[in-house]
Amino acid sequence: MAIAGCMAYMSCKPSAGNDAVSGDAAAKAYVPPGKYDELYNFVSGGFSGQTSVYGLPSGRLLRVIPVFSVDPEKGYGYSEETKAMLNTSHGFVPWDDLHHMELSQTNGEIDGRWLFGNANNTPRVARIDLKTFRTAEIIELPNSAGNHSSPFITENTEYVVAGTRFSVPIGDNTDVPISSYKQNFKGTISFISVDKNTGRMNIAFQLETPGVNFDLSHAGKGPSHGWFFFSCYNSEQANTLLEVNASQRDKDFILAVNWKKAEEYLAQGKGKKKQVRYARNHYDESTHTAVSEILTEVTMLDPKELKDICYLIPCPKSPHGCDVDPTGEYIVGSGKLAALIPVFSFTKMQQAIANKDFEGEYEGLPVLKYESVLHGEVQKPGLGPLHTEFDGNGYAYTSFFISSEIVKWSIKDLKVVDRVPTYYSIGHLCVPGGDTKKPYGKYVIAYNKITKDRYLPTGPELAQSAQLYDITGDKMQLILDFPTIGEPHYAQAVPADLISKNSVKFYNINENKHPYVAMGEKEAKVVREGNKVHVYATAIRSHFAPDNIEGIKLGDEVYFHITNLEQDWDIPHGFAVKGANNAELLIMPGETQTLKWVPEKAGVYPFYCTDFCSALHQEMSGYIRVSPRGSNVELTYSLGKTESESTQPNN
Amino acid sequence: MTSKMSLLTRIIAVIGALLLVGAIFLPVWRIELTAPQYPEGLVLKIYADKLGGDVEVVNGLNHYIGMRTLHEKDFVEFQVLPYIIGTLAFFGLLSVVVNRKWFFYVWAGFFVLFAVIAMVDFYRWEYNYGHNLDPAAPIQVPGMTYQPPLIGFKQLLNFGAYSIPDMGGWCMVATGLLLVFCVAFELKRSRHARRSPYNSITVVAIALLLMQSCSSGPQPIRFGEDACEFCKMTITDKKFGAEIETQKGKIYKFDDIHCLTSFLKSGTLDTQQVKNIYMVDFASAGNLVLSSQCFLLQSENIQAPMGSHIAAFANEDSLRSFQQQLNGKQVSWHEVNQ
Repeated sequence: MAIAGCMAYMSCKPSAGNDAVSGDAAAKAYVPPGKYDELYNFVSGGFSGQTSVYGLPSGRLLRVIPVFSVDPEKGYGYSEETKAMLNTSHGFVPWDDLHHMELSQTNGEIDGRWLFGNANNTPRVARIDLKTFRTAEIIELPNSAGNHSSPFITENTEYVVAGTRFSVPIGDNTDVPISSYKQNFKGTISFISVDKNTGRMNIAFQLETPGVNFDLSHAGKGPSHGWFFFSCYNSEQANTLLEVNASQRDKDFILAVNWKKAEEYLAQGKGKKKQVRYARNHYDESTHTAVSEILTEVTMLDPKELKDICYLIPCPKSPHGCDVDPTGEYIVGSGKLAALIPVFSFTKMQQAIANKDFEGEYEGLPVLKYESVLHGEVQKPGLGPLHTEFDGNGYAYTSFFISSEIVKWSIKDLKVVDRVPTYYSIGHLCVPGGDTKKPYGKYVIAYNKITKDRYLPTGPELAQSAQLYDITGDKMQLILDFPTIGEPHYAQAVPADLISKNSVKFYNINENKHPYVAMGEKEAKVVREGNKVHVYATAIRSHFAPDNIEGIKLGDEVYFHITNLEQDWDIPHGFAVKGANNAELLIMPGETQTLKWVPEKAGVYPFYCTDFCSALHQEMSGYIRVSPRGSNVELTYSLGKTESESTQPNN
Repeated sequence: MTSKMSLLTRIIAVIGALLLVGAIFLPVWRIELTAPQYPEGLVLKIYADKLGGDVEVVNGLNHYIGMRTLHEKDFVEFQVLPYIIGTLAFFGLLSVVVNRKWFFYVWAGFFVLFAVIAMVDFYRWEYNYGHNLDPAAPIQVPGMTYQPPLIGFKQLLNFGAYSIPDMGGWCMVATGLLLVFCVAFELKRSRHARRSPYNSITVVAIALLLMQSCSSGPQPIRFGEDACEFCKMTITDKKFGAEIETQKGKIYKFDDIHCLTSFLKSGTLDTQQVKNIYMVDFASAGNLVLSSQCFLLQSENIQAPMGSHIAAFANEDSLRSFQQQLNGKQVSWHEVNQ
């Protein structure tokens, strides 16, 4: 009887959701071997500090681009040429937390030139060159901490912005009690100008803001071009137990910034110069070497004094995502603890500003009336709204962390039209071109925070999980699940031909201006300068020149400058030497890279090519002899010289 | 006529007492929790003297919504329950030794009283935990409380909570049923009554009640709140609507018969899973009627929300009276659902 009762009760528990995919999903995600994907997907690596590049719809991993973290596989941050990329005012920083990606735009559309990424921990913005898929420039941000609402851009890539997630004391005296947050802590928003030809970055100006936590941002476009919108939380200005103390107010804010107005004040000389220290590192493609400089000044604008730059829009419950629809008219705030999604109207905001329709001030900045700016609210959309992307057909797609789903809704009438589960707890989402004026649409990709049972278990640490959905029909359809590198946050996707057509196949060796280049085997040499020994070596299938080196002494610093002489597609050479305390080099055709090696024991050390380059790759190796301090072994080097030819005394 | 217990009752009393001893050591109740991000599920096990299962995980989650954390020391019940159950078991064995019916009846009576008080107490705890929320909690949904169900399933934000007896609880349920059976058996024996089917009917009825109690039949549609499972639109027109109840008790709601049939055709739900289909009675707004008992009227003049032009009626008479105004023709469920 008890068992019967037990069975009866078991039968009324709802079964778990059905996550099976329907029949044609495989065909939609299938890209046959040898065929190219339709789209590139640039996915932030979160705490890996890198960017990964996937092909869609196949979900195939194409490349991991090292950005803010060293990468021994590629020698990034280990070779002498790339170390300077990671210079900061705090010295060499080998890791960071890359959260968001943004592709450069022209006229509000993706132009395929550069990809920007932010460093959340030691505030920086990186620019990746999409011709080479390499990090081309990294600029540090002074007066900043927790660079989270970054690197979002204006519609012609005039500016990349950076807002502080952590307000900190700034100025001359920063050694203050943490409890003096309300008096001493300030946020800043940096506008980094981007040269439209070279892409070189420069901090045009910074805005000093109230000490709140800026979370995410997006630029206005079309009619709202000239404005930038930043969500912020912790308007309570708590400095401890933020999960409770920063969740008390019913509404925090979206900060609307009129950057055209800021430009006017800047031109009128209303900015104040502040003495600071920050690094700017640029990778020079002709010398194949990063150049690092320390800059000492920024111009600060104070929106409390300079009116009409900043307005605050009340937004429910700790807004996270702050997204602008393709028309530029609607601004979607996602209160991550709110039970609705407010959609604000740019036109109404302009009217409210003109009518001075303010409900008061917050820290000296005017606060607009919620109702005056509101287009409408999406009611009961789900639990924990985070981010919104757009398909260009009048629909918005919002991710919901707590209820673990993507909800599709109509911007016009704010009605929910479809919802689909994600696995599990989605953070960001991406529609190709979904934050531009002309979304490509077709897919939405979910980047999840929790993986659990999606793949074969790999111990306590699991890959993160992403899902690809087809959004061409009325109903969103799950078509693929794929694991990601690090923790994916914001991502961008773009039709492949916009980028693939410009992809560099190899570097022209005739344009190689590296100071230690060897333009051919005849130029290969070893030169001693005091205790520094420079090896000008070349690599070509299947040998190094020179491959026998003697006369190195303990106490010497050896610099292997390896030039890859190949001028053909996909023939990199690697270089590694026994006992090196750093990493390998991976040298592209036409490129020169340098490995520093400080031997600590006398003996003979082999070096070899690490990238399988040819049928005789295993033969591509050499020896370097290290003698004790004060030894009289002469500095010699050779290639192909046999014992009978050798004139070197063997002592 | 005797005041002594029958051999059967004495044997069952021993079994009942032993089951109670088991209930001291086995988990009595369990609350299973599932959420999208917990596909493996979480479980809270309530023993006579402690809490088990994922207590720390649940406590960690509860702080978001401001529920107090669960601590064994906060429950005086955990101090006394093992002794109360132990005493009940002891008196059960004692009844076998004493071998008097009145003693057995008193024991059975106390056991039933204990069961009722225990459930009331459990409800009280659930109520307090679900309603006394920290006003400073990060997540506050207006009007939302988090009281878990006493028995059965309830959705609490992203968590589905499913509350049922565990092994120890089933031991107690079994003991209770055995005692009810024995009391009835002894009463009948002592009255020298004619063999009557009532006792076994009682037992079967209780069992049926138990099995039926959660297949709750149609769930009323909350007009203006519930969304149509198929078209996702909010169900607003009280004259239309339909509902599918699955074998497992899950409910799907629709704003129009058109959405119901489209949903059935979509293959989202295995047709084997469908237990009952209900339709809103056009004549008595909001009332749900079994589809097999419905009379359907199709007319261009019927403005159903999604254009099915079909209204359902609980009886043929009301269909006829509406047909006079609306014209159209009567159709069968089979015709509609093809």
